[in-house]
Amino acid sequence: FSHSGGAGALAQWVLVELQGEVQPRQSGDLAGSLLGDLHYTREGVPVLIVGHHILCGKVVQLEKPFAVLVKEGGAPQPSPTEPHRQYTVTALIKTKLLFKTRPKPIITHVPKKV
Amino acid sequence: SLVIRGEKDEHAVLCSKDKTYDMKIADTSNMLLFVPGCKTPEELNGDLESCNIIHSQIAGFSKNYWELRRCRPKLKKLRKLLMEDPYEGPDNQKDQTSTFSKYTTEDLLSLIQASEEEILHQLQVIDACKIEGYWRILDFDYEMKLLNHVTQLIDSESWPLSKVPLCACLEELGSLEPREMIQHILLSYGRKYVDDAGEVFFEMREDKICRAIARMLLQNAVKFNLSEFEEVWQQSVPEGMTTRLDQLQGLALVDKSSRPETIFLLKVEDLPEDNQERFNSLFGIREKWTEVDITPYIQ
Repeated sequence: FSHSGGAGALAQWVLVELQGEVQPRQSGDLAGSLLGDLHYTREGVPVLIVGHHILCGKVVQLEKPFAVLVKEGGAPQPSPTEPHRQYTVTALIKTKLLFKTRPKPIITHVPKKV
Repeated sequence: SLVIRGEKDEHAVLCSKDKTYDMKIADTSNMLLFVPGCKTPEELNGDLESCNIIHSQIAGFSKNYWELRRCRPKLKKLRKLLMEDPYEGPDNQKDQTSTFSKYTTEDLLSLIQASEEEILHQLQVIDACKIEGYWRILDFDYEMKLLNHVTQLIDSESWPLSKVPLCACLEELGSLEPREMIQHILLSYGRKYVDDAGEVFFEMREDKICRAIARMLLQNAVKFNLSEFEEVWQQSVPEGMTTRLDQLQGLALVDKSSRPETIFLLKVEDLPEDNQERFNSLFGIREKWTEVDITPYIQ
């Protein structure tokens, strides 16, 4: 492994942890699609709106931070000239936004019972 | 920087300069999304004025990750590799012709699942030495030959065992053995120190020397009459040293059930590594063990 070059600290990323799976609304790739909107309340509670669902979560400081690694080099197998595979630490993750409560559907119009 | 070490048939470990970690993959049923530049509530607090939308990209996601757990360095292999070709001395023809099974520091770094510092420390513990760039363990008979040169010299010069001069040893013995070997044997069996005048001396290690001599005596027979052995052993060690049975832990075993009592060689490093196999081996040698007897072999 090696540090991703340059003076200065590593980039700090944030992890968003969701239960279950995320699927694009229309058929298609996840890449390029909008996931949703992230808000924080005044008290610092993260709120995620995905489609017509709302999820409440919490900010968690990770006991064991994560390191994000990127594989270097294009060769799929080690070769005589490149016997050692190298990974570069791209970022550190010390915080996660954990969403583990059930998503609640946002109902915008409740018809009155007659 | 960090290194992952392991051969195809081993579980991978991650090594820093001085520590070793087991690598385990952890699966989570949750989805983990990585968001570069995502701000936490604390980071946004100062920005109450601006309510702009920040467009953030999710860099990727994963359902599993590698977890690291600090572990003991896997060093048993080190001795095993070096024992493939023990060094028998400069006169030995075999060494000049054979090109097999010799390991440099680089070789060991890629074969042993431990950090560099842990490997270098273990090399010191097992009294390995570097000969022509390769790490070697001395053949026991050659080691004893070297030790004998030194102890005989100590005796003939009447040096105190705690103050053996390096220079004089090199001068007197340099014609018999390579100087590096003489220095190596002094380092292995003595504690080096420098006196006020800047001269190098060795305080000879009584326990280690007595133990080596015991091994030399015991390896020539299946077993010995205990009292006879104790007599010969005491006579064989340098004058001023006292032999004690507790110096032989992990090396020899006393059979108290036989009449007369006997002693035989049982080296802990010859036993199987795997726990179950080791127990099987020990209980194959003897049906019942006392805690005192078995402890050196299961540590």
